[in-house]
Amino acid sequence: MTSVEKMEVLISNVLKVGVILSAVLILLGLTILVATGDTSYPQGVMDIDWLIWGDPFFSPSHIIFLGFLTLIATPVMRIAASIVVYLKMNDRSFATITALVLIILIVSFTLGIG
Amino acid sequence: MLGLGGGTILVPLLIFLLGVPIHIASGASIVAVVATSSAAAISYVRDEMTNMRLGMFLELATTLGAVTGAFLVSVVSESTLRVIFGLSLLYASGTMYLQSRRMERSWAHRPNDALADRLELGGSYFDSTRNETITYGVGNTPKTMVVSYFAGIVSGLLGIGGGGIKVPAMNSIAGIPMKVAVATSNFMIGVTAAASAFVYLRHGYCNAFVTAPVVLGALLGAFVGARLIRHVRGVDIKRMFVFILLVLGLRMILSGVWLV
Repeated sequence: MTSVEKMEVLISNVLKVGVILSAVLILLGLTILVATGDTSYPQGVMDIDWLIWGDPFFSPSHIIFLGFLTLIATPVMRIAASIVVYLKMNDRSFATITALVLIILIVSFTLGIG
Repeated sequence: MLGLGGGTILVPLLIFLLGVPIHIASGASIVAVVATSSAAAISYVRDEMTNMRLGMFLELATTLGAVTGAFLVSVVSESTLRVIFGLSLLYASGTMYLQSRRMERSWAHRPNDALADRLELGGSYFDSTRNETITYGVGNTPKTMVVSYFAGIVSGLLGIGGGGIKVPAMNSIAGIPMKVAVATSNFMIGVTAAASAFVYLRHGYCNAFVTAPVVLGALLGAFVGARLIRHVRGVDIKRMFVFILLVLGLRMILSGVWLV
């Protein structure tokens, strides 16, 4: 395998793990929700505060929410993985480009904008 | 299959058919867009349909654009933006229509320009409908970069992936094949959409009951679409695009006028 092919397989696998993991979490949460019969519309908002400090501490909705977070983290992990690969390939210009993309992305996360 | 993510179709569907409030609909849709992008990319990347180097290079422009767009929200009124965006989509639809009539291939071959040459942006992929390996260059890189920046601004402003702008730009300006444009746009969308999705999530707009089924459905659709694209001709994808851009453009303008 050439280094480019290796990179394609790695990126593809990072995406695969992220997508499958989040799908499993969402499906699991949804199944428990339906099985327990608690299908009422949740009161209040589901946000990061609720995930960490919410009451009840853990519920099927928490599992679903974790699934969403995993999904959103997947493209970010993809960029992080590509930085490592470009560094290994000694491709300085692309390592810099992808690192810049990651920085911009993290800045936009922390600013609370998108 | 069209590198669009599908948010533009999902949002009105949820609002009008199921009576979901607009913020919840957008929240569900943007998470679904991340899902579609990542799921489709799994096979696009292995098929070498995605031009990763070009994608990651242009992400520089789209993410910067997205940050700019978010700052612009407070300055420009949303209705003006919608009209401008709608007009640009109509323009893209027009140019693509003219091109699809003029030529048999879905793209015009361009050699790498100086910047693309230095960054080795050109590539090749195996087209199974043509049964040949297609090698292409990337032309007009700076111009494509500028358009991608604007696509980023639009996606930051409206919370969409912006594939409707990126695909025509990569195809007509940079001169890369339609399928590669679709796969590469899809690849980039995941990153911009992830940023938007995180904001929606933080503000609690992602209702589990609405979002969970939508995301699971979108994942399924993405797997099917990514397999379908191998068997469709580039010209036909282009024709579908002409129609979709026309509808989207008109919808944008109408919704913009409505807001005034």
